[in-house]
Amino acid sequence: MNSRQSPASPATRAEMAARFVGRDVTSMRDFTTDELLFVLDLSEEFERADEPRLKGKILANLFFEASTRTRLSFHAAMARLGGQVIGFADANVSSVSKGESLSDTIRMVENYCDAIVIRHKFEGAARLAAESTHLPVINAGDGANQHPTQTLLDLYTIRRIHGAFEGLRVAFLGDLRYSRTVHSLIESLARFNTELVCVSPPQLRLPADILDDLFERGVRVREEFNPTILPQDVDILYTTRIQKERFPDPVEYEKVKNAYQLDRKALSIYPTRVTVMHPLPRVNEISPDLDDYEGAAYFQQAKNGVTVRKTLLSLVLGAV
Amino acid sequence: MATDKLQREEKTIKVSALTDGTVIDHLADGTGLRVLRVLGLDKGTTYPVAIGLALDSRKLGKKDLIKIERREITQEEVNKIALISPEATLSIIRETHVVRKFRPEIPDLLESVVRCLNPSCVSNHERIKSRFRVLRRDSLRLRCEYCERAIAADDVELL
Ligand SMILES: [Zn+2]
Repeated sequence: MNSRQSPASPATRAEMAARFVGRDVTSMRDFTTDELLFVLDLSEEFERADEPRLKGKILANLFFEASTRTRLSFHAAMARLGGQVIGFADANVSSVSKGESLSDTIRMVENYCDAIVIRHKFEGAARLAAESTHLPVINAGDGANQHPTQTLLDLYTIRRIHGAFEGLRVAFLGDLRYSRTVHSLIESLARFNTELVCVSPPQLRLPADILDDLFERGVRVREEFNPTILPQDVDILYTTRIQKERFPDPVEYEKVKNAYQLDRKALSIYPTRVTVMHPLPRVNEISPDLDDYEGAAYFQQAKNGVTVRKTLLSLVLGAV
Repeated sequence: MATDKLQREEKTIKVSALTDGTVIDHLADGTGLRVLRVLGLDKGTTYPVAIGLALDSRKLGKKDLIKIERREITQEEVNKIALISPEATLSIIRETHVVRKFRPEIPDLLESVVRCLNPSCVSNHERIKSRFRVLRRDSLRLRCEYCERAIAADDVELL
């Protein structure tokens, strides 16, 4: 399927929108490719329009694990569309600290709101929350598992800049072993005719089962283990944070950390602009001297996060 | 019930066919004790249970066999056996007649059968049933419906 179809006719638009009403968004696996593209198309429409279509609706933002960025983004999305937000910012202030089960918390909260956003340290928590209520539940990150709105905003940013996914060459840099953001984005990009380059230290390479799956599907993917030689032939550099905890030897970490820093000098090998992406927060993977580089897209990603969240909230609340 | 009748039954279960209950035959050699454990028959069962290990079998060379008197195995239990010994045959006996004979089959969804090995999986922290989707049957591959981790046959840990 081409990722840049002509805009859907009003009939199919309504049909597609109907599929999302009351629906949970817990995993990218739940999206068919046409649904994924529909969310991106609709997001382009929603990027500009801020009508109060969610007036009178209440969102419960349940952050059992703190994530200021994601929480504020959902809050802003809801507020932009005239809705209201209740919730908590970390587990310490909620009844979970008193030992209440997740299902019970959700069954309590469902009486106060129209939709639930959940962030939790345990993998599968969003799925469990979704099973505990008839309200739509959106996963805002469950441990190392899924963070579908992050993936959608990454896809949206890429398509916004490059027009389509087909033929794009995307390099992933850094911790490819533990980064759920990378896994999920790779899985989604593999649905289109893209070419993937994975650059990581050997101990942080992409997990074997993901690689096997890509090979089985005939996706063009290759691995590189030398970060000082950036792949020449790419359109996008997607970098992630390398965490110190992953290295038993701190010296090893220091070496790797510096090798994976992107700056103007490193990008001088590219004759034309490349897109530089990062899920944020960055530590030192991207030098501040890249912030005014024309390919720097990481702050745009944050902005697009509000847009795709506006779209999803409108869809699941039946306001499209 | 007269005591002597009970005693008579206890003597005969070991050597003859069942009157009522389940016969699990053609268990792969060496799996009998595991099946017993999975079915919870290894400790304090109220039903008479007979087990045969490493019996001669024309089909398998060696096989294990379990007879459970006065108890019919449920679908959920059958699913557990399907993962340990897929070639097993089960017969439900009522009044000495085989009323149902079937092979265990791995269903599309395994509920409360397999433990998720991921320590961060919500199924290991909340009081919920584990749930796995079967991705492949030929070389067994399952995916936890909660944390979405895939596991291969070697890593399957039964509940
Ligand atoms: Zn799991």
